[in-house]
Amino acid sequence: MHEFDALLSPKTDRIYADSPDPAIRELALFLKSRPLSPFSRSIAVRMVDCGSSNDVELEEGLTNAPQVDCERFGIHFVASPRHADVLIASGPVSVNMKLALEKTYRAMSRPKAVVAAGDGACTGGLLAGAHGVYKSGRVEEVIPVDVKVAGNPPAPYELVLGMLKAGQILSKKRI
Amino acid sequence: MARPVHSFVCEIGRVCSKAELKASEQPSALWVGVKAQKLPDLCLACLQAGGVFDSAFTYPSSISSHWAAVYVFCVPKLSKPVVLFSHAKQFHSVSAQIPAAVWDERKMREISGADFIGLNDLRPIIIHPESAKFVTNPLRGAHAPGRRPSARERSAGHEEPAGHGSEYGFAGTGEEGEFQIPVGPVHAGIIEPGHFRFHVGGEPIHKLEVRLSFLHRGIEDFACGRPMDGVLPLIEQVSADESVANGVAYAQAVESLASIEVPRKAESLRLILLELERIYSHLADLGGMAMDVGYYASSSRFATLRENMMRLNGRVGGSRFLRGLVVVGGMARDMPEDSLRQIRTSLRLFSDSLAKTEDLTLSSSTFIDRAFSTGRVSPEVARRLSLVGPVARASGVPCDARKHFAYGAYRSNAVRESLGQGGDVFSRFMVKLGEVKESVRLIEHQLAQDIDGPVLSERRDLSKLPSGRMALGWTEAPRGSCMFLVRSANKGALGRLAIRTASWRNWIGIQEAVRGNITADFPLINKSFNLSYAGADL
Repeated sequence: MHEFDALLSPKTDRIYADSPDPAIRELALFLKSRPLSPFSRSIAVRMVDCGSSNDVELEEGLTNAPQVDCERFGIHFVASPRHADVLIASGPVSVNMKLALEKTYRAMSRPKAVVAAGDGACTGGLLAGAHGVYKSGRVEEVIPVDVKVAGNPPAPYELVLGMLKAGQILSKKRI
Repeated sequence: MARPVHSFVCEIGRVCSKAELKASEQPSALWVGVKAQKLPDLCLACLQAGGVFDSAFTYPSSISSHWAAVYVFCVPKLSKPVVLFSHAKQFHSVSAQIPAAVWDERKMREISGADFIGLNDLRPIIIHPESAKFVTNPLRGAHAPGRRPSARERSAGHEEPAGHGSEYGFAGTGEEGEFQIPVGPVHAGIIEPGHFRFHVGGEPIHKLEVRLSFLHRGIEDFACGRPMDGVLPLIEQVSADESVANGVAYAQAVESLASIEVPRKAESLRLILLELERIYSHLADLGGMAMDVGYYASSSRFATLRENMMRLNGRVGGSRFLRGLVVVGGMARDMPEDSLRQIRTSLRLFSDSLAKTEDLTLSSSTFIDRAFSTGRVSPEVARRLSLVGPVARASGVPCDARKHFAYGAYRSNAVRESLGQGGDVFSRFMVKLGEVKESVRLIEHQLAQDIDGPVLSERRDLSKLPSGRMALGWTEAPRGSCMFLVRSANKGALGRLAIRTASWRNWIGIQEAVRGNITADFPLINKSFNLSYAGADL
């Protein structure tokens, strides 16, 4: 059956270890080996775009598409950093967004974990060195980073895995 | 010089003597040089002769300590843009007569440090005062973009920009009982950063001020000095869901500069990519509008369609955002027959599903009730602010660059422009829906033609290109037309790149569209525009 056929009854992707999609395979392995911890079942995520070309945001938006449906993995995007356990930031961090990123991070209660999503956030990416980019552009320059997800941009399942890994790190952090 | 061009130059030339005007015609544009004092008059003459203000740019002039100001007007009857330019140390602002030019002139003033006499709004627009201390690399020589006036220049008459080092200076309408709602830069949803300052009297919005540039990275500046054919990956960072449109616009500017002939097959593939991009980009808007009225049954179906289109992109193009395919001179690689077949089958099924989703959405009285008459943009406002894209077309202003300034494969494939009348959220929904269907038709038509041949031009050596040559390139991106100005430096390097995206033009429009609406409708109006923050901030 063709994927467009089933449209008016949308189907979520099956997560299994021998899927043709490498991102789904990796996610399946992670879910199988994931130990139970206070945060492993549900994490609240706040996203901040600090200078990406909106590619990471569009892919994050699509983690809510019915095929991916990130809420079945316990991931919930929240409106306020006060409600969030995990901050997902894309980059390269622009000089004009540095302050907003710091403030958002400070507004989160502990324990908190940070995901740097996309090449720009991890390494500075293609635009590292441009005059509007803060230092090297890495999110690490501004706030501590726990998980890095590479990609230009990372696909929805790669982002899901990154956020779940951050949720696991949370349980090891001191309150 | 062709006859319509000649008569156009005579028409606008009435405001000054013939000796003051230097006109030269190029394939991409008509260039008219004039003295700085005469520039505003000539701009107005251009408007009266049927031109539409498109953009204004600045770059360092070859004359020491002078700057060049470039005003671009789109003239449908010539089917090409007209560029008015002038070299001077200070300029006269045209924004009093052409309100669309305010943001452009503020940006030009901040980049060059040159005075714009008559420009009232002197607030910095690119680098925020509170962040200015972090800008480590804006100065590439005294003549570089991003320059701030030195202490000596300031004492010689340059003023510090208003608001420098302090508040931005938002100004309400001054009505009694009015209060402000600050929103952003970090918003509640999964979107980009920007600051909105609502001046409201209870629920109705009296005035909205948009403060952008939180995502300013300096792409225009950063690309300069690199080989012209090597900066496309940077151009694709301008705005992700316009990667192809921006890439093609830039490539077309360079191709026109170096007289590179693009093979027919490459033009045909570019059309397919441009329309695939329009489809997935519009699906986000359509789903977003349904979501913002709380109609999740419809929005999740649009999201399903969109994710499927993105997956199709990934399969046929290797990138979900179709990046890395367009290069200067054609395409990086051909698309195998199998990929084209996949596109054909998927689009057929897509059309069926879209029709069902459309029925579902339009049969809901909730949706109609919220969308109808909300966020109205009158045709007069759309014209006065030079709005572009689906926003202008929903107000009944024809402006599709694919039709009126046809480029590439659109020259031989007529586009049916979708036009609305109401100028409200509902009209924008219908226009975007119509454009998705038209895109499907264009791709299917293109696939049926079965064009064959090379996809990359043989002659694309840029190293012998003389420096100082300029050209324009444009495309109709999903959000509206974008304009690229490219200037060559030595040995095929990029001397100056200036970008005007559709979002830059339409953000001013959103300030008008929300006037008189209630605050709760702002997300819906914003979604119906769906402008890119990164695309405007560069």
